[in-house]
Amino acid sequence: MRKHVIGALVVTMALGLSACGSGDSGGDGGETSGKGKTLTVWIMEGTNPDPKPFFNEVAAAFKKKTGATVKVEYQQWATAQKKFTTAIEGGPSQVPDVAEVGTTWIPQFAETGGLVDVTDKVKDSGLNDDLVEGLADAGTLDGKQYGMPWYAGVRGLLYRKDIFEKHNLKAPTNWKELRDTALVLKEKEPGMIPFPVAGGAEMFATPFVWGAGGELAIEEGGKWKSGINSPESVKGITYYTDLAKKDKLSPAKVTTWTEKEVATDFQKGKVAMTLSGNWTPKAFVQAAPDLEGKLAAAPIPGETGGMSKSFLGGSYLSTFKGENQDLAWEYVKMVTTGEFATKWAEQTNYFPGQNSLLKEVQAKNDPLVAPFAKQMTEAGATVPKTPAYGQIQATQVVTKMVQSILTGKQTVQEAADQAADEMDKIFAS
Amino acid sequence: MPPESLIEDSAHDDVAATTSPVKSSRPRGGRPSPTLRRKQLGRTTRPWLLLLPSLVVLAGLLLWPLVKVGILSVQDYEVKFGGGVGVYTGFDHYKDLLSDGDLWRTVLPNTAFFAVACVALTVALGTLAALLLQRLGTTWRVICSTAIMAAWAMPAVTGTYVWVWLFSAGDGMMSQLAGSLGLIDPETTNWFTERLSFYAIATLNVVHHGFPFVAITVLAGLLTIPRELYEAGMIDGANAWQRFWKITVPTIKPIFLVVTILSTIWDFKVFTQIYLMPGGAGSNEEVLNLGVWSYQQAFALNDYGAGAATAVLLTLLLLLITIVYIRTLFKESDEL
Repeated sequence: MRKHVIGALVVTMALGLSACGSGDSGGDGGETSGKGKTLTVWIMEGTNPDPKPFFNEVAAAFKKKTGATVKVEYQQWATAQKKFTTAIEGGPSQVPDVAEVGTTWIPQFAETGGLVDVTDKVKDSGLNDDLVEGLADAGTLDGKQYGMPWYAGVRGLLYRKDIFEKHNLKAPTNWKELRDTALVLKEKEPGMIPFPVAGGAEMFATPFVWGAGGELAIEEGGKWKSGINSPESVKGITYYTDLAKKDKLSPAKVTTWTEKEVATDFQKGKVAMTLSGNWTPKAFVQAAPDLEGKLAAAPIPGETGGMSKSFLGGSYLSTFKGENQDLAWEYVKMVTTGEFATKWAEQTNYFPGQNSLLKEVQAKNDPLVAPFAKQMTEAGATVPKTPAYGQIQATQVVTKMVQSILTGKQTVQEAADQAADEMDKIFAS
Repeated sequence: MPPESLIEDSAHDDVAATTSPVKSSRPRGGRPSPTLRRKQLGRTTRPWLLLLPSLVVLAGLLLWPLVKVGILSVQDYEVKFGGGVGVYTGFDHYKDLLSDGDLWRTVLPNTAFFAVACVALTVALGTLAALLLQRLGTTWRVICSTAIMAAWAMPAVTGTYVWVWLFSAGDGMMSQLAGSLGLIDPETTNWFTERLSFYAIATLNVVHHGFPFVAITVLAGLLTIPRELYEAGMIDGANAWQRFWKITVPTIKPIFLVVTILSTIWDFKVFTQIYLMPGGAGSNEEVLNLGVWSYQQAFALNDYGAGAATAVLLTLLLLLITIVYIRTLFKESDEL
C-alpha cells in the first residue's frame, strides 16, 4: 500500500511537471488551431509491434493541420488502469488529453466523471451511422458515448488446415460436429491437443455460455443479476468442460493455461484446433514461419448450427476533461477514421471500428480474416456494461468456476452457483 | 534498535546502579545557573536539530502515507475526477474482513503454513550454506558465494517463471522426470491445481530466492566468532555438533534473530511468486494467500478502504509476530 502511495506520488509529480510544460501556452482562439499547444496522448503498448512510425506520421499530419505538437506516451496494459485512476484523481491538469481506453474500462472511468461525452460531436461529424454496432454499444452508457471506437477484435475458431485435410475433416458447424472432429483428431494425431479447454481463458468459455442461450448477467430495472447458473448457461458450461473431463480432448496441463500458453503450443505445432483471436493467425505465422499456409479459420459454431456469440473487445480513443478538449477531438477523429484507421488495423491485425472500413477489409476475402469479420459483425457480444463486471473479471469469477470443474473439485452446477453468488455479491456492493 | 536496550536483567541494573552516582554528582541544591541551563537546553535540542531534515523527509514519505492508510481504512473511498470522496464508515471494513470465511478457511492457513515452512527452510539452508562457505578457501568461497548471489540477484518474476517452467505439466522437465520414473502420468497430472504441490513449488522458489541473504548474513556473523572459543571447546572434548549449538548459535543469536524476523516478514507478504504461478492470481481459490487476496480486495475490486484495512491488519499481525519473537528469543538468552 505504502509503495503504491509513493508510486502514485511520483507519477503525480511526473505528470504535474509534464502538464506544466504544456499548460501555459496561451491559446489564440480558433476552434482547431493548436499553435504552440501540446497534446498528451496515452497509447497502450503491445497492440502494434512497433507503433512509433505510425504515431510519428500522425503527429506530423496533425501538426500540419492544427499546428499543435503531439506527445505520445506508451502505457503497459498491466499497470495502466492504476495510472489512469491516479491521473483521474489528480484532475484536469493530470489526465492525458487523449487516451486509448479498453472497452471494459469505460464504465469505470465514465463513472468518475473524467471522460468527455462525445455523443453530439460524433453525430455532428456524421460518424454515428457508420460505427460497428457491438463496439459502439460497448462504450455507450445511458445513451452517452464516451469516445470513438478505434479498433476491435473477436475470437473465432482457428485450426490446422493441413491436418484437417490429411484426415478429411471439415470445419465444424455445430457443437456435435465440434466434438466429433476433435475426437477424430485425438485418435489420429496423438501428439496434438485436439481442442484446448484452457481454464485460465475467460473468453474461451463465454462463447459456450452464450451459444447455449445463457447470459453472464442480466440487467433488470437498472440492477444487474447473474445468469451464469441458469439452466442454459449450465448446459453450455457442461458441454465445454466435458470436452476435457469426459472426452479427454484437452490434457491436464491445459487446466491452468491462459490464451498465452495456448498460443505458444499452437506455434509449436502441438494444437490442432482452438478458439483464437482474429489478431493471432498473422502473429503465429510470423513467430513460426513453417505454419505458413497451414492455417484456416471459421466462426465459432452454434449449438445446432449458426454461430455462437463471441466476446467483441477493443479499444476506444477517448478524450478526458482536460484543457484541450476540442483539439483532442480533432486528434481522435484523425486517428479513428479514414486512412489512419485503416493503416492501424492493417498493422495490428485488428478490425477498424467503422462499418465502411470493415467492409473494405471483408471485400479482400482473406480466408484468415473473413470468418472473423463475419463473427464480429453477426455474432459479437459484450460483457455486462457495468464497472462491477470489471471487478468480476479481476477476481476471476468465471475462470475460477471453469478450473474448479476441470479439476473435479466441484460439479458444474455447484461451481456455477458459487460463481453466481460471487457475481451477485459484487453487483450488490 | 540495539538488542541490548531491550534487556532488563539484573546485570544491567547493576550497571545502571554504578552509573547513577555519576549523574547525581552534578551540582545539587539551588537552581542551575542560566549558562548551565542554556547548555542543557542546547544538549537536548541539538540532536533533534541535527535529525530534523531526515525526520521531515521520513514523516513526508513514510509517516503521512501510513496515517493516510489508517484514515482510508475507515472510509468508503470513491475515485472521482479531480479528487476522490471518502465517506466515514467506522470499522465496517475490519468487520467485513474478519468475518470473511475465505480468510479463515484458506487464506490465513495457506499464508501461515507457507511462511513457517519457508522461514524454517530458508534459515536452515542459509546457515548450512554459511557454514560451508566458512570452511572453504578464498577461491572456492568466491566462486560459491558468487553462485549463491546469482540466486539472490535474480528478480522474483524471472525466478518464478523458471520454476513454473521446470514444473509445468506435461512437458516440464520435472514432470517428464517424474513421469519416466513412473511416479505420475504427465498427461493427467497438473501440479499447479493441487494446494500441496502448488505450495511445495512456491516454497522451493521462495527458499531458493531467500537463502542467499541468510547465508551471507550468517557468514558475516560466523567470521566474527573468535577461533579461541572453538579451540577451547575442542580441548574440552566438544564435537562439531556440540560446538555448533553451544558456541556458534549462542554467539551469533542476534543475527539469527534478525534474519528470522526479516524472513518472516518477507514470507508473510509473498505476492509475486504466488500471483505469477498458474492459477495463483485467483482462478484457483484453494491457493490464495494473504498477498494475493488483499490485492484482489483492494485493486481488483477497487475497494481502497478494504485494501487499506487489510494492510493495517497485516502490519499489526507482523508487529505482533516480531514482538513475540524478540521476547522469546531474549528470554532464552537470559536463561543461558
